[in-house]
Amino acid sequence: MGDESTTEGHSIEEYRRGYEQERRLRGFRSQCGFTTVTWGLLCPQCGKRDLAEADLVGTGRVAAFSVQQVPSDEFLNDVPYAYVVVDLDGGGRITGWMPSVRSEAELTIGDRVRFVESYKSGVHFERDSKDMP
Amino acid sequence: MRETWVVGAATNRFGKMAETGREAASKVALAAIESAGMEPKDIEQTFVSNAFGVAERQAHLGPLINTALGIPEAPSCTIESACSSSSASLHEAYVHVAGGFSDAVLVVGVEKLSHLDTLAATSYFAMGADYAFETRNGATFPGLYATLASAYQKRFGTPPEEFGAVAVKNHANAAMNPHAHFQKPISMATYLASPVIASPLRLYDCCPFSDGASAVVVASRERYPSPPSEPLVIRASTRSGSVADLHDRATLTGLPATRTAAAKAYRQAGVEPGQIDFAEVHDCFTVAEVMALEDLGFFSPGTAGAATVEGVTAHDGRFPVNPSGGLKAKGHPISATGAAQVVEIFEQFNGRAGGRQVPKTGLALAHNVGATGGSCSVHIFGRR
Repeated sequence: MGDESTTEGHSIEEYRRGYEQERRLRGFRSQCGFTTVTWGLLCPQCGKRDLAEADLVGTGRVAAFSVQQVPSDEFLNDVPYAYVVVDLDGGGRITGWMPSVRSEAELTIGDRVRFVESYKSGVHFERDSKDMP
Repeated sequence: MRETWVVGAATNRFGKMAETGREAASKVALAAIESAGMEPKDIEQTFVSNAFGVAERQAHLGPLINTALGIPEAPSCTIESACSSSSASLHEAYVHVAGGFSDAVLVVGVEKLSHLDTLAATSYFAMGADYAFETRNGATFPGLYATLASAYQKRFGTPPEEFGAVAVKNHANAAMNPHAHFQKPISMATYLASPVIASPLRLYDCCPFSDGASAVVVASRERYPSPPSEPLVIRASTRSGSVADLHDRATLTGLPATRTAAAKAYRQAGVEPGQIDFAEVHDCFTVAEVMALEDLGFFSPGTAGAATVEGVTAHDGRFPVNPSGGLKAKGHPISATGAAQVVEIFEQFNGRAGGRQVPKTGLALAHNVGATGGSCSVHIFGRR
């Protein structure tokens, strides 16, 4: 199958391709207001079948984070880095990583960040230049 | 529903096992059956938990354990719910016995990971998270709980000493538990000096990678009215779930699945949190114990850490928490953990906990979380 395989409609693979190759954060919105990037068929908040695909805004603020010193195998050569939960402008939360943040003192909850093109798999965030001193 | 109780329980020493998980599980299973005054032939069904059996190149462990026990014809199945696997097995055993389908059911949880290096073990642990949406972005198991800790500290202004007090208490309890992985107390200075693993969590905020096996026997009062030890009457056996990914949750300062499982358990048992005498809660990281105590209704949000500093949750305190040493210091062999919590409560109810014996043992609660709270079990035990 390899490169010839295709997926119908939304899929985890399309989400990955979106952030890795197209600089898009593809997500879903429900009419109840819930917005997510997590793949699903029905809304986990209201249970309705109304999840509609949406392009999410690639900027936001850090809601929580942790600087990793002990990685899993896929990030073996990347520590230290920050694992972040980001509240996106326009709605929705997402997790990602910030390779430029190498200590806890370099990031604060509430800091502005933006999604950028990455050199490896994973949703890559960097500080939003508008937030730079 | 028939009255159902835990009539036998056993565990091995957590830490590093020389033997395979299969051997350890079979031995603790036999010990649990013997402690119930039964023979293996009395067991009608076996529920096994062994989430990372693949690390030993072994799945389908139930028939191997039953064969080792001389009951190969007994049905078995493996139940996986990450770190709450064996409490999920206990719940299924309860359903079988209370529902009248069986009179005696064996629950066995086992894990062996010590033959893996830290990188491999960290990678295995991360499998409990959402690979596509969390792990691929650099999440590790400590990292996910550390993320919750950062949000908790931001909301409540929690100083590290409040998390440290959990570690110091649980290591002190483990030092009195011959089955615990860690047998030495630690000081607050030792805690504060330990290296950061995933900020803000330090080494001593984290549970160890442990091997271990635990087993309990669940039986009907109707068929087994006079067990040799004081049984644990199962007053409540509940489970709940929540969205698995942290980023999809409304709160980052507690676990919704704990709250819903606890609410169901209190309703099923007909008790309030204030009536519980002591608890074994899921403290894979110190922040997890703090959040659990609040989500379970024992303390109001933002106050459990200070209560721990004040000694309220010490084994001889007003409300003992994790007298076994908890996952934090007794150890956390993933699939053995939920059953091991019940083993501790069984020993406490029978006055066999030695120096860590808690003062009151009328009602006890066991709380066991799968990964970061995608699943959760709560059991409440009382006396006959």
